[in-house]
Amino acid sequence: MIRLERVTKMYKTSTRPALDRVSVDIERGEFVFLIGPSGSGKSTFLRLLLREDVPTKGTITVADLDVAKLPRRRVPRLRQRIGCVFQDFRLLPNKTVGGNVAFALEVIGKPANTVRKIVPEVLELVGLDGKAERMPHELSGGEQQRVAIARAFANRPIVLLADEPTGNLDPDTSQDIMLLLERINRTGTTVLMATHDHSIVDSMRRRVVELSMGKLVRDDVRGVYGVGR
Amino acid sequence: MRSDFVIREVVTGLRRNVTMTVAMVLTTAISLALVGTGLLAVRTIDRTEQLYSDRVEVQVALTADVSTADTDCSQPVCSGLRSTLENSPLVASVRFESQQQAYERYLQLFKGQSLAEVVRPQSLPATLRVRLNDPEAGAQAVREAMVGQVGVRNVIDQRDVVSKLFDFLSGVRNLTFAVAVVQAVAALLLISNTVQVSAFTRRVEVGVMRLVGATRWYTQLPFLIEAVVTGVAGAVIASLGILAGKFLFIDDLLSGIVSNGVIPPVEVGDVLWVSPILLMIGAGVAAVTGYVTLRLYVRL
Repeated sequence: MIRLERVTKMYKTSTRPALDRVSVDIERGEFVFLIGPSGSGKSTFLRLLLREDVPTKGTITVADLDVAKLPRRRVPRLRQRIGCVFQDFRLLPNKTVGGNVAFALEVIGKPANTVRKIVPEVLELVGLDGKAERMPHELSGGEQQRVAIARAFANRPIVLLADEPTGNLDPDTSQDIMLLLERINRTGTTVLMATHDHSIVDSMRRRVVELSMGKLVRDDVRGVYGVGR
Repeated sequence: MRSDFVIREVVTGLRRNVTMTVAMVLTTAISLALVGTGLLAVRTIDRTEQLYSDRVEVQVALTADVSTADTDCSQPVCSGLRSTLENSPLVASVRFESQQQAYERYLQLFKGQSLAEVVRPQSLPATLRVRLNDPEAGAQAVREAMVGQVGVRNVIDQRDVVSKLFDFLSGVRNLTFAVAVVQAVAALLLISNTVQVSAFTRRVEVGVMRLVGATRWYTQLPFLIEAVVTGVAGAVIASLGILAGKFLFIDDLLSGIVSNGVIPPVEVGDVLWVSPILLMIGAGVAAVTGYVTLRLYVRL
């Protein structure tokens, strides 16, 4: 599903590579934590998967697409197969909850009747049924993140990338968001989550990929955050 | 492509930057109005030139003694000159105007003015009025053949007189085009700036669009259409402005020389001829500027 082969990413402004010969293979339907301190290369990892950037060396395959060699005009096709969730939610403040989810479908050309059908379904899946007409600022942080997840999942991506999705949330709310991501994972969607949150990683006991200074230093099938803890 | 979505985005964009939009429309309108005025000037010049090329003659004025002595060009000096002219292939026709005829025309021309009273028939020369097949080469040939001949006072090419009018009209044209160019630069910069501002205010939307895999067209089209809409609005206002200008100013300003047949009138049809050109320029320039701006300054 996601395969990195000896991927190196150098930025012009830095002498040390942001990613240094990283090879990872993630199967369809896996739930993977991507951990490591700030500056370890997690964000670069995610950016390369989304083709926000291209690797300096190595190959990246996502959902059978050779990401680095993908021509510009086919990048949208890649991104339609990947859902994205961020720490800061990135909701459109002037659109309702339903409008935010609908927007993501409209801009990829889904017909109006399809959008009308999908939006309530996906809002129900994330536990926001009945809140379609609310504005984002009327919701709690946890609920806003649910909207973001609904938006990311509305087009049924085969991969869901989550970059610190619980970074702005309290522990209880974080737990709810993790349950939601697990539920999405159970539909067969591969979930790759970058996080700093020890307790979540430790309690979930899923595969852990750890980066440090751009190098892959650990890949445990059922890992915890800190080695030996 | 979901057209309802694109239209909604365009309307939102135009409403969000309403002051900028108005400034952009007005600047575009002014520069296009100037371009339109220039085009109308060119058209008028062309038609005036046509008008005159049918009418303009070369006048061979005869000396005073020949003028007085010969009233119908029957005497050797005048008839000799006449046959020389008529034998030239460059000449279409030659007409003799006697002193008396010249005097009558003069009286009619300055009717009611004091100038009409000071002139006597004797003070006007008789002329041979030459129509040419080829105004360019013919005028020169007539001049060369006639100047210095016995009985010839001077040769007047009416085109020399008319060319002053043409110079004036081309001056008007060049001035309007020059101002139009400066104004167009301002309009271009405004369009470019507005597209940038528009893209900046919608960077969150655009970010989401990129992330969920919207194609380039979906992300860019609203901005491009916004630019084109203002370009078209500017062209429409410019056309209406020119039309209003025609009825309010141009008609009045030119009424004298138009009724005397000096220049042809500016018709509504002329404005209708200019409008689609302005529309195409407005829409085209706005689209290209918008596209280039998005390419150069905005990461979509």
